[in-house]
Amino acid sequence: MSTMTAGPAESTLAAADFDTLAGGLTEPEAIAEARTAAWERFTALPWPTKKSEEWRYTDLAKVGFEALTPVVPAPATAEALPADVRDVLGRSGERAGVVVLREGRVAHLELEAGVARSGVVLCSIRDAADRHPEVLRRALLEAQPGPAEEKLWALHLALLGGGYFLYVPRGVEMPAPIHAFHIVERAGTLSSAHSFVYGESGARAAVIDEFLSGDLDAETVSLHGATITGEGGAGIEYVALQRFGRGVKRFSTQHVTAGRDSRVVTFNVALGGDLSRADITSRLDGPGSDSEMLALWFGDSDQHFDHHTLQHHAAPHAHSDLLFKGALTDAGSSVFRGLIRVDKGAQLTDAYQTNRNLLLSEGAHASALPNLEIEADDVRCSHGATIGQVEDGQLFYLMSRGLTRRQAERLLVFGFFDEVLGRLPMEGVRARVREAIEEKIGL
Amino acid sequence: MPRNETITELGLDEYKYGFVTEDQPVFKAVPGLSEDIVRQISHHKEEPDWMLEFRLKALEVYYSKPMPKWGGDLSKLEDTLDEIYFYLKPQDQMERSWDDVPQEIKDTFEKLGIPEAERKALAGVGAQYESEMVYHSLKEQWEEQGVIFESIEDGLAKHPELFRQYFSTVVPTHDNKFAALNSAVWSGGSFVYIPKGVKVEIPLQAYFRVNAERMGQFERTLIICEEGAEAHYIEGCTAPVYSTDSFHSGVIEIVVKKGARFRYTTIQNWSNNMYNLVTQRALVHEEAKMEWLDGNLGSKLTMKYPSCYLVGERAHGEILSIAYAGDGQHQDTGGKVIHAAPNTTSQITSKSISKGLGRSSYRGLCKVYDGAEGAKSNVECDALLLDETSRTDTYPYIEIDENTASIGHEATVSKVGDEQLFYLMSRGLDEAEAMAMIVRGFIEPVAKELPLEYAIELNRLIELEMEGSVG
Repeated sequence: MSTMTAGPAESTLAAADFDTLAGGLTEPEAIAEARTAAWERFTALPWPTKKSEEWRYTDLAKVGFEALTPVVPAPATAEALPADVRDVLGRSGERAGVVVLREGRVAHLELEAGVARSGVVLCSIRDAADRHPEVLRRALLEAQPGPAEEKLWALHLALLGGGYFLYVPRGVEMPAPIHAFHIVERAGTLSSAHSFVYGESGARAAVIDEFLSGDLDAETVSLHGATITGEGGAGIEYVALQRFGRGVKRFSTQHVTAGRDSRVVTFNVALGGDLSRADITSRLDGPGSDSEMLALWFGDSDQHFDHHTLQHHAAPHAHSDLLFKGALTDAGSSVFRGLIRVDKGAQLTDAYQTNRNLLLSEGAHASALPNLEIEADDVRCSHGATIGQVEDGQLFYLMSRGLTRRQAERLLVFGFFDEVLGRLPMEGVRARVREAIEEKIGL
Repeated sequence: MPRNETITELGLDEYKYGFVTEDQPVFKAVPGLSEDIVRQISHHKEEPDWMLEFRLKALEVYYSKPMPKWGGDLSKLEDTLDEIYFYLKPQDQMERSWDDVPQEIKDTFEKLGIPEAERKALAGVGAQYESEMVYHSLKEQWEEQGVIFESIEDGLAKHPELFRQYFSTVVPTHDNKFAALNSAVWSGGSFVYIPKGVKVEIPLQAYFRVNAERMGQFERTLIICEEGAEAHYIEGCTAPVYSTDSFHSGVIEIVVKKGARFRYTTIQNWSNNMYNLVTQRALVHEEAKMEWLDGNLGSKLTMKYPSCYLVGERAHGEILSIAYAGDGQHQDTGGKVIHAAPNTTSQITSKSISKGLGRSSYRGLCKVYDGAEGAKSNVECDALLLDETSRTDTYPYIEIDENTASIGHEATVSKVGDEQLFYLMSRGLDEAEAMAMIVRGFIEPVAKELPLEYAIELNRLIELEMEGSVG
């Protein structure tokens, strides 16, 4: 594939100053200001260390950020769909639009004409700063990350400009999902992309973000942020399907805000990369809101997956349900650290959190830290975590039917994952995720 | 909130055992901590040189470690530590018979409601008044069996070899800041040795009591349970109310050898201005079984996580924990199980109740090392919130390096259900009775494991705390 031509000075992060990062681009004032401020914060803040609870099991000191080449967010230029993207699109079902991003830069963007006529906006973050500055400012630029995410979030914002913006107006129901492809091709780079999804009251939207790369021969970092907001009664489904190649380290920070009576589903699937970390926060902001948080991961070789979640109940009568399942083989490792926080006054909260882990090999290890902090009394909260292996009886049964141990094991993992997959409402999205998992675990 | 006003008006929130006995210590160190104090303590105890060196080294470790930032709020503790007395010795010598115990101290026990008859029935009563054992008796047949139940000081003096072999092997000095502090200034506690195959059927009891104002208590207990032996040790605490913060930081070390069974029961009811930071740990060998039964009702802040290090094949560890956090209290409690050998099993059951401005936190660790094949662990935490100002947290850590392990953790948080209350009230109970009955039912799984007199005491304390909580 060809690389982008907007050719700013190339330097490592350690040597970069903001002017190199800006690369002489002209950009909307809102973004330029936010980027400058974020860069200042980034340079002022220390890197989180393993001494902080949030980074206890993932060592950022082992990521060579300083030596990476930051990719300057350049303006979008139209380009034909890459062959492998066409291939995926050819196989998966209906869609309302397609976005292709390369190292965070929007390279291709299309929205079905009928959907566009209903008022739905799909554009680059840069263009959104001109068209919807208020929404962008409120939901993204002023978002407050937790202290542990601050450093990476600041870096993400400093590199902002890459990424897309989806806006679904009041009452509009999108007939099919938007499929976005985040492609990383250049080894040794640090790139950043943002997925911005906003549904006004009563809107319906579904988005699938697919992260792709080949196996890269040098350490490469992909930063990703997602801001997903549902106003009153909105219904939003967001899927992040991470299937990077080896060499890539990925950090994703996702902020969900669910307004009154809205329902937001997030689904994170981690399959690729050397290191994959996701910080996912769901804020139950309005009474009657509902957040479903789902995730699956399958790690082999020496892959490391780290999922960090917060279900923040700020309003009464809200419901949240988290189900994260992971399977590990070889020397794969994973961390789940989740917190349910119920504020004072968030009465009649219903919050659940479940993390289940399968360890398939001797070298695999998993950590689970499901936490609760409850300050309201009229609540129903529970959490559960298990770590175990596939049952001998089930293995024996399948093997007695002629499967090899490996086949039987993989089939059982698939069955284990199915409970989560089954919760995805949109069939097309479900099929795509299923396919990607099959490819990874090699059924 | 009208409900809290009522409690205050009726004086029901007052500490039941809030009485003070005039005390006349024989020796009282100056407040605060220094190398001099440590030397004085060691000198007064007529300790061997190695123990003085051990203490001094521990003091250095204590100074070098930062104050923990997790768990409860310790920001005011450093001021407190400058003011407390690190050592008091109420009497010159150990008492051998009940008649010799001073009246003043007997009065204190009387107010705690331990009946005379019961004391006699109890096998060995080691009651800790101030910093040392004042009363210590042990039935003759046990002495014949070779059971040792001494104050920790006598343990060191009379059984130096045995003492030195095990002391600080389970909780090393550098384990944590407060273990280091305890190692430097420890005073009082028990030394227990159960020889091979001996089964001690009646529980060994030590009733701890802190009395003098601003006095830190640094009890140190060392228990060795030899192969195939069985015993149950009970420690209970109550303390009077004082105006300034007080501090308790104990270290309990237990070695449970092959095939032995040991149970350690604590009911902690320190007054509500006490910092209670305790390190309790057991090393559990092959096929041995260790049970911690941990009740935390009092104190301002308790940070205590009894732990089982399962180091021998098929070792079993069990932790039953109950916490009650009323106004101004933070119970940061739980348990740790470390699976370091194959086919080891463990169970943690935690029940907590928060009321008023109270906060109870479960904090636990389940760690399975690579090679601990077939390890099984199950953790259950249930939290009950009695009103809208109370708070509860659950912070379990699960770290698994072994693929054949099977680990489960479950936690629930709930309030007393309206339907439950309604049902009981429709059967003729008033609301307070119904509430108390539900709470009793909630703690039942832990209470039923206690010896009868403790179960009664626990129920009585909970009932007392519950009074006036409906309104």
